[in-house]
Amino acid sequence: MEVIINKQLEKTLVEVKGRIDTTNAEQFQHDLMPLMEGGPKDIDIDCSGLEYTSSQGLRTFLMLQKSVNAKGGQMVLRHMNPMVKEVFDITGFSNIITIL
Amino acid sequence: MKKRFNPIKDKSSEIINFLMASPDMPSDEALRFKLQLSIEEAVENVVRYAYDGGIGWLEAGTNLDHDSLLLTIELRDAGIPFNPLEQPEPDITAKAEDRDIGGLGIYLCKKLMDTISYRYEDGNNILTMTKKIENS
Repeated sequence: MEVIINKQLEKTLVEVKGRIDTTNAEQFQHDLMPLMEGGPKDIDIDCSGLEYTSSQGLRTFLMLQKSVNAKGGQMVLRHMNPMVKEVFDITGFSNIITIL
Repeated sequence: MKKRFNPIKDKSSEIINFLMASPDMPSDEALRFKLQLSIEEAVENVVRYAYDGGIGWLEAGTNLDHDSLLLTIELRDAGIPFNPLEQPEPDITAKAEDRDIGGLGIYLCKKLMDTISYRYEDGNNILTMTKKIENS
């Protein structure tokens, strides 16, 4: 699992790669903390390299979405593979997180 | 095949990997994804919550019926009696602010597997999940 954060003036670009599972879900949450703390309110996440996420990973995406909503920002997740997208669909997360 | 893990504290990935490496498992990538996610959520439930301090055992097993191609995954533990299927289901239509983060894992198991059942027998929690694996 790898998180690359690139804060720009207008928005923050993020890349999430690999697998979010029981071995690294806490690390994933830790890695995303800077996005919840400060910086531009809009976040654009490239999920093309995201291969797998457990419910723990979903919870972190939900925390991030709530933080973005609280700041009045926008968050989008892009290029999600169909298997990962299905997990977001089944859990209703596709309704509360914008997936393009 | 089955194996008893004892103790199980911090052993989630070892248990998941054991089940995923079973010869009963299909090779189809999409199917493996669903099975792995269901197994991970179910195993995590036991490892995190079944025993105070995680000191206890978990027996994990798979079985494939070669006629019906029905794959069965069974998890057994002697922890606190707990039926995860009685947990309230998450409200998947709620807004982000109202989404509760509980109950997601077992909800995923219910949706990704064909059947999931629980029984308490001889002092053991027994969770059984099945999935038909025709295309692999």
